[in-house]
Amino acid sequence: MASPIRILTAVPICDGHDSAINTINLEFIRHGIEVVYLGYHRSVSDIVRAAAQEDVRAIGISSYNGGHIEFFADVVRELRKQGAHDINVFGGGGGTITHDDAAIMARKGVDQIFFAGTSLSEMTDYVRKQYGKPRKKRTHAKNPDLVLARRLTEIEDRSGARRRSAITGDGSTSDRRKRTGRVIGFTGPGGAGKTTLIDELVLRFLNQDRHSRIAILSHDPSVIGQGALLGDRATMINSQTDRVFMRSMATRGQAGGLSPATHDCLAHLAQSNFDYVIIETVGTGQEAMPFQNDGIIDLTVLVMNPDYGSRLQLQKIVMLDLAEIVVVNKSDLQRARTAHSEIEQRLEQNRRGQKLIDTVAKRHRDPGVDRLFDLISADRTR
Amino acid sequence: MSKLGQVVEAVEKYNQFVLDQVKRARTDEKFGRELINRWNETKEKTPVTHTPTGLPLPRLALPEIDEPGEIARYLFGEGLPGEFPFLNGAYREMYLEPTRGIELSSYGKKISTNGPKEKPTGDDERPPEEPTRLFSGLMLAEDTNERFHYLTQHQRTHRLSTAFDGPTLYGIDSDADGVSGKIGEGGVAIDTVEDMVRLYDGFDLGSPNFSASMTISGPAPIIMAMYIAAAKRRFGSKVVSKLRGTIQADIFKEVQAQNETIFPIEASLRFLTDMVEFTTREMPRWYPISISGYHIGEAGSTPVQQAAYTLSNGFAYAEMFAGRGIPVDQFGPRLSFFLDCGLDAEYIALARVSRRIWAIGMRDAYGAGPRGQLFKLHTQTSGRSLIAAEFKNNLTRTAAELILAYMNATNSCHSNSADEPFTTPSEEWIRLAAHGQAILLEESGIFKHTMNMLSGSPGMKAVERAVEAAILEEFREIERLGGVLAAVEDRFQRSQIQNAAHRYEQQIYDGTRPIIGLNRYRNGTDDIPEVKLARTPRAKQQLQIDRLAKFKKKNAGKAKRALDKLVDVVERGENCFPALLDAVEVSSLGQITDHLQEVVGRFRPMV
Repeated sequence: MASPIRILTAVPICDGHDSAINTINLEFIRHGIEVVYLGYHRSVSDIVRAAAQEDVRAIGISSYNGGHIEFFADVVRELRKQGAHDINVFGGGGGTITHDDAAIMARKGVDQIFFAGTSLSEMTDYVRKQYGKPRKKRTHAKNPDLVLARRLTEIEDRSGARRRSAITGDGSTSDRRKRTGRVIGFTGPGGAGKTTLIDELVLRFLNQDRHSRIAILSHDPSVIGQGALLGDRATMINSQTDRVFMRSMATRGQAGGLSPATHDCLAHLAQSNFDYVIIETVGTGQEAMPFQNDGIIDLTVLVMNPDYGSRLQLQKIVMLDLAEIVVVNKSDLQRARTAHSEIEQRLEQNRRGQKLIDTVAKRHRDPGVDRLFDLISADRTR
Repeated sequence: MSKLGQVVEAVEKYNQFVLDQVKRARTDEKFGRELINRWNETKEKTPVTHTPTGLPLPRLALPEIDEPGEIARYLFGEGLPGEFPFLNGAYREMYLEPTRGIELSSYGKKISTNGPKEKPTGDDERPPEEPTRLFSGLMLAEDTNERFHYLTQHQRTHRLSTAFDGPTLYGIDSDADGVSGKIGEGGVAIDTVEDMVRLYDGFDLGSPNFSASMTISGPAPIIMAMYIAAAKRRFGSKVVSKLRGTIQADIFKEVQAQNETIFPIEASLRFLTDMVEFTTREMPRWYPISISGYHIGEAGSTPVQQAAYTLSNGFAYAEMFAGRGIPVDQFGPRLSFFLDCGLDAEYIALARVSRRIWAIGMRDAYGAGPRGQLFKLHTQTSGRSLIAAEFKNNLTRTAAELILAYMNATNSCHSNSADEPFTTPSEEWIRLAAHGQAILLEESGIFKHTMNMLSGSPGMKAVERAVEAAILEEFREIERLGGVLAAVEDRFQRSQIQNAAHRYEQQIYDGTRPIIGLNRYRNGTDDIPEVKLARTPRAKQQLQIDRLAKFKKKNAGKAKRALDKLVDVVERGENCFPALLDAVEVSSLGQITDHLQEVVGRFRPMV
């Protein structure tokens, strides 16, 4: 069985009309498509960069604010400039894109425009039919990120095939000698604010060293029917730059917060000349211990929400024993003070010198995030 | 309990008060007699007008009741138009034609000469004005200016409603990376105070007959400062206190529905409050916020969600402004509202109920005086209800919505053009939309003879009761989540709206929601018409970029100083609006946005 089709969807810059694309995204994932959603008000360069890094088959653009002829054409032009001829572009805009416009856009390299009244199933069928065939080898890639992105796709497809044919063993290629980047793992329950926290840390990494590059491996769960909505890019506003290589992965049926291909992808990224490699699990449960002791991850951060329930619940969270750093995010909530002292006590029992930090990641220039950043970057120089 | 909880209690208490008054009117003979006397007096004072066919009609229609309990239920529960709790209207008379040929008697009984000439409650005396508003904005400032002059050529009063292009709405300049195709699309391109001068050229900004409405929220304080600066450049600094108009500036609905937020929520609210503090003090005729359900409705909410979120957002703003120390009677009268009007049954009374809840909440939970209790409403017919397939049907949809909007006694109204599913409306369809309103208000006898003409049917009462109960239930839900701000940050309203939108689409898809020409009586062929699209030519877009470059070059040195000062004031937590007024003189919208974002961060979208 082939791997799911991966596409990227977005709404153009200066356009906040996300109602249609939200509905369409849900329909796509229900039909087994993995959708990397970039959100609204997105520039051509953000879209092309994301499509290249995510190595999607196609980009779907939903435009309702005009300027679509130029915008779609710019996306196609920029893709070709980078050598990503094999990433296709389609889209729609209700009644705002006329048939005449669509004809011009087709001449400029856009595959398909869906007009008002197109049913969701027509769109889904189109994507599955047009973008479901195997791709040829890429020959023109000018951007090294494109090569890396395709390599990750190959690893992902291979792990999928292996899992499905029930071959066990991890086939790890981790080689510590070649390693360059420091690998930091973030995990924690859903809604704790991991994504926002990582994005705020990325901003600090980028400002600290003007030449550093960061890789992010972000996970979201696959739904029944194998589709997945990979939406972290939409909220990670600081991570949409050429200095960040971000890859969104679906769990593709594996429990525990990661994908079957995570280990190999991470090993590959760790050798790919990044200063930091950050991995974010899906929201995890109490029993989860997503990061194995396999020598790839240097530092583990558990991000908690102050609302974890009673003190007793804390005893059940396995990662509290394993993480080097525990973060209580949303520490502006009332419950946060109690949470801090309860977790502090719990960590003291471990006697492992684990660090506990309170943050409000949603706050610009949050001093707690500054402290976390200092801790992580100091750890690197050690 | 947050303020919203207090509002729920206030409405419940008021409803009980009405029931108590009804009972008292039936048991307390003296009270009952007073009510009957007052009722008879009101009827006697009501002038009679004549229709063109000679039919005499009272200028105010009242129910046929003479029993004290029912009179109490009407007077306390609904209120006469212009009286608390304002169910029937914010003002005593609305839409009525001038008082020519009015017989000075009422309900058949002769009274003394010169009928009552009370001033409308609330606002200062002004010439009667058309409630019609037409939204416009295209290409560059001079193009929109030309359109404004065309639209107002036959109007007694000049009420300009301004749409901005995408880059302006997101606080970025026309020279920003990748936006060139968006310049002047869907609205007018504004980068600098010089554009603002061109936009309203030829209009007397300080005149009582002029008002400007600006549909912009994320960067609203910056645009407001530009408008003030432009007015000062043309008319001197004395004009500031005379400026009339509205700026949308509604941050909550942006986060909940429209996605044009550029700063984090708390910073956005702080800049808004800075602006409101300034304008309510220095510009007593300006409406610095238009609390908008329109975009919530357009994003797919149910009508009840629209009203509930709009009202609760309004109460949250009131709490915030009061928290800053602005007196409720200073900001209360300067709040205005903007609702969508579609074809669902709720719209028969949605705005009526909203007006009542607002009045009770402001009076009893916020201590507002009479002027601060008024829910001043602008309505726009539903853009979402307009369909591309067989688009001429949109004329009928808009006409039905207009009737509903005026049945709700909206203070002003915009009617959509039938070609809106395709583009910024063209002149032909704009004209038809405007004429739709004129036909309804001036040609037809539905609204021009009698206030309350279509109010008070048993069906309308039933809708009122159901809608009020549903709105209060939404309030309770928000209250359980910790109030409006907590609910917004929790994405509550946003996800509720998205769920409703999905349901709506599903209903269209499975046919349980009939859309004529789309899923019912479809003629088989797609009839996307020849619509002449208003697109901004490349040369114009380049002109805007060139002008901006010239402005930036000319002001480079001064801009740096002004922006540094602005940043400093923002960091110190002072009211930054005066510094904004200085900054817009020498720096562009995008420059200001960038500097503010350096200090407060950017808005992180909610997905």
